[in-house]
Amino acid sequence: MPNSPTYLGTVQDVQGATISIALDKDTVSGLAFIDGHGYRIGQIGSFVRISIGFTDLFGIVSQVGAGAVPEALAKVEPYGYRWLKVQLVGEGQRSGEFKRGISQYPTIGDEAHLVTEQDLTRIYGRPDEPNYVRVGSLASAESTSALIDIDRLVTRHSAVVGTTGAGKSTTVANILVALSDPSRYPSTRIIVLDIHGEYHAALHDRAALFRVNADESRGEKSLFIPYWALSFDELLRVTPFRGLTDADRAALVEKVKQLKLSSLQAQARNGVTADTMTVDTPIPFSIHRLWYELHRYVCSTHTAQSANQNDTTEAIEQDPQGQPILGDIMRVNPPKYRPITQGGPNRVYLSGAQFNIRRQILALESLLRDTRYDFMFRPGPWCPNPSFQNLDAQPAQDLDALIKSWVGGDKPITILDLSGVPVSILLDLIGVLIRLLFDALFWARYLPEGGRTRPLLFVLEEAHAYLNAGNEGVASIAARRIVKEGRKYGLGAMIVSQRPAEIDPTILSQCGTMFAMRLANATDRSHVTSTVSDNLEGLFNMLPTLRTGEAVHLPLRALIDAPAKNRRPDSDDPKIYDPDANGGWNRHKQAEDYARVLEK
Amino acid sequence: MNRTPVSSSNVASVGYDPNSMTLEVEFKDGSVYQYFDVPETVYQELMRASSVGEFMHANIRNNYRYTKV
Repeated sequence: MPNSPTYLGTVQDVQGATISIALDKDTVSGLAFIDGHGYRIGQIGSFVRISIGFTDLFGIVSQVGAGAVPEALAKVEPYGYRWLKVQLVGEGQRSGEFKRGISQYPTIGDEAHLVTEQDLTRIYGRPDEPNYVRVGSLASAESTSALIDIDRLVTRHSAVVGTTGAGKSTTVANILVALSDPSRYPSTRIIVLDIHGEYHAALHDRAALFRVNADESRGEKSLFIPYWALSFDELLRVTPFRGLTDADRAALVEKVKQLKLSSLQAQARNGVTADTMTVDTPIPFSIHRLWYELHRYVCSTHTAQSANQNDTTEAIEQDPQGQPILGDIMRVNPPKYRPITQGGPNRVYLSGAQFNIRRQILALESLLRDTRYDFMFRPGPWCPNPSFQNLDAQPAQDLDALIKSWVGGDKPITILDLSGVPVSILLDLIGVLIRLLFDALFWARYLPEGGRTRPLLFVLEEAHAYLNAGNEGVASIAARRIVKEGRKYGLGAMIVSQRPAEIDPTILSQCGTMFAMRLANATDRSHVTSTVSDNLEGLFNMLPTLRTGEAVHLPLRALIDAPAKNRRPDSDDPKIYDPDANGGWNRHKQAEDYARVLEK
Repeated sequence: MNRTPVSSSNVASVGYDPNSMTLEVEFKDGSVYQYFDVPETVYQELMRASSVGEFMHANIRNNYRYTKV
């Protein structure tokens, strides 16, 4: 019997990738010291090395003690041996590299050894290689770095799952900080769809922040999503026009097409002609003008019967100076019409428009006046400002400037802070954002700054909201597209979610890198376990008892580095009680002018 | 839209869709018209009216936009 200090015992039972090891009688239980480092023997989740000839097999301990006795032996020797059950995960040549997967299996009598830090470095450690970044340390050996391969991370997608408070945002922030290290990766390109506005605090110097109601004095940029960049269907979903009848829809298509055509005639645009233009082509048109013209068409009254109505028969009221009250397009003021009369010499008739969308037009009027939607319907330099003198006024900027501001900035990370977006259109908007960027990078994939030459990583927060099975929303379709085909065009996704059970399993199984943080819910756990390829249920049984900031990142359990104080995401819980009397509920109340609440 | 038959000299049946506020009227000659933005109360009054045709003429025909189906 060899007297190596790492010796644990011998293999007694092999069932596929699950093997049972009987601990040697001489093996000290508890602690072993090798090269001055202490190792705990038989820790769940720790590694075991089995030497077979020139190859080492590596496995993870999943069960220890009497329960791990093979069934057939349970009656014969209930207390006789101490047993370990081990799941094999990979192999490595002596002094060679570790690889996942097993080419040969151990046989009865093979020696099992404790895995020392040197071995661990062989499995995970390649800190010098430039495509590996450190995200934390191994939970079992804190001097060994937990590394991730950024090639795999970006192109094969990744998922960060864990319950609220398990440290997801911190982990994501930490990974993003590591990926955007300017000395190692000067041309990193990452877009974060930040639903709660947490990440800017962590990435302030590396990221350009775009948000609704931006405070430009603090370096924030305004997030604009021009409505005319939306496809017709997307536009219908965010305006009151959803659920139109086919006839009304067709009429609306015609109207929008007409406006886009007249805009195209006012200013020619590369790549599109009047013949190739469709209602979905992202050509600037004015939705205010659309509203105004629809209003005049449908809600007007006329001095002639429907058959003889035209622009000159409109019964517009006059102001005291005798001028017609035409309203204002950009201020969303409709013209004032005289009420209909039932007879008399100056009889006023209803509009003959056979278009049943009067209520939708009135709803659009209030939508266009609502300042919460200004980021979309009055998108700054992308907003056409038509007036009665110049109905085809063009916006100052075109889409290229918008896409450049998002993916071509000088900062490696772009945060699109969606916390100010009204909830009712949030999901549709996420879909639009992803689709716009996907299309831009897809069509530009071979250009110097295209997707294949400079890949883009999307961080999708709260992904369960739109990636659940059966969700056919715009966001779901767009995100699926990235996960399923993004790899070929240089688009990677990082899916962050607290409810992995609600994410479509086909999406989760596409994620090559998985950071599983603490998960208490059994459905969530089984969902995550079922998507991983390895035979590692043992490791996933630890999910409910992981510490905060601890993750299972296959095949290892890692303690994610706590970011520096100024690199923490803004996701701390509010303090309820604080011993220094600064908590929310044990401090002194302060005077508040509630009028300020209304201003917001 | 489901229409209810009514007894009248020129109206055959009347239907109403509260979601789109559309009143659909079939006349005895077989033509069907849709009147837009008709409040539900007006539809109920129409159904209660002693003469549907008269009510149509007085309160609906010139007060609401319409289309022939």
